[in-house]
Amino acid sequence: MSALGQLISLACRLFLAGLFLWAAHDKVWLPAEFARAMAAYDILPVWAINPASVIMAWLELIIALLLLVGVWTRAAATWAALLLALFTGLMLWAGFTGAGFDCGCFPGQETHAAGFEAALRDFLMLLPALWLMWLPGRLLSLKPERKPDPDRLYF
Amino acid sequence: MRRRRTTSLPWAMAIILLAAAALGLAFNLVMPQGIGWLPPWLSAPRWQPVSLQQAADMHQKGVLFVDARDPGDYKSARVRGAVSLYPAELKLLYPLLKKTLAAAPAVVVYGTYTSRFPAAEVGQFLKDQGLGKVYVLGEPFMAWRAASLPVKAPRRRAKP
Repeated sequence: MSALGQLISLACRLFLAGLFLWAAHDKVWLPAEFARAMAAYDILPVWAINPASVIMAWLELIIALLLLVGVWTRAAATWAALLLALFTGLMLWAGFTGAGFDCGCFPGQETHAAGFEAALRDFLMLLPALWLMWLPGRLLSLKPERKPDPDRLYF
Repeated sequence: MRRRRTTSLPWAMAIILLAAAALGLAFNLVMPQGIGWLPPWLSAPRWQPVSLQQAADMHQKGVLFVDARDPGDYKSARVRGAVSLYPAELKLLYPLLKKTLAAAPAVVVYGTYTSRFPAAEVGQFLKDQGLGKVYVLGEPFMAWRAASLPVKAPRRRAKP
């Protein structure tokens, strides 16, 4: 990978790490608030709200830490991409239904309305995750990734 | 040559997910702000559940109905005679309805969504305030309406 590619990968990693760390810390520390925000979407059954919100919060935190130190970067980026794709879909759905409630993206901080603007934001944040899935990079990484094998996915 | 151990992507993703579940469970068990599998109004309810038929019988006997749904849903249609008391504004609205609730022989709270059970939350709150007979209807309002039970809905004005 060229030096420019390495730098882009590093920038993507640190950007996503900071983003997920910022989003996760309140979700982890204030689980009841995040559970309420998740319930507002009215998608999961009542019994699944609390477990799903707890797992999602800690998943975001672990993703952030893995990206920060550069360990299992491709796996962390894949999870980040899946979550951001899910969030984009939820924001689009909220936009079409005119929901208007707080998206729950950053509970405990200023509110961000669920809708098309949030969908665009989440989609743009998806792009660095997709980059890292393909080119995780080796700069400032505790466990640099091997070159991708088209026949098998490994680290 | 020493062979380097590798971890496949699916395994790494599975381990990350398991770690998130394990750490989340541990945190919520240990920390005071931790949440249980279910909210307390569902894991340790102090209200009594009622069926649709029982609630219909109570309605005929003059029991007070409380609508715990969002205000917009209450305005669009509600059980005839129901008052609105929803979780987001419980502490603000309860003092205004305190006398009415206390005077009622019993209270039936209704309102349920896919991810929320506001009737249970409001029912638990009313029990905590000292109300005697508090019942919660587990069926959604649409079931009440589908059973042709008494409903109040604003009339649509014909466009000129």
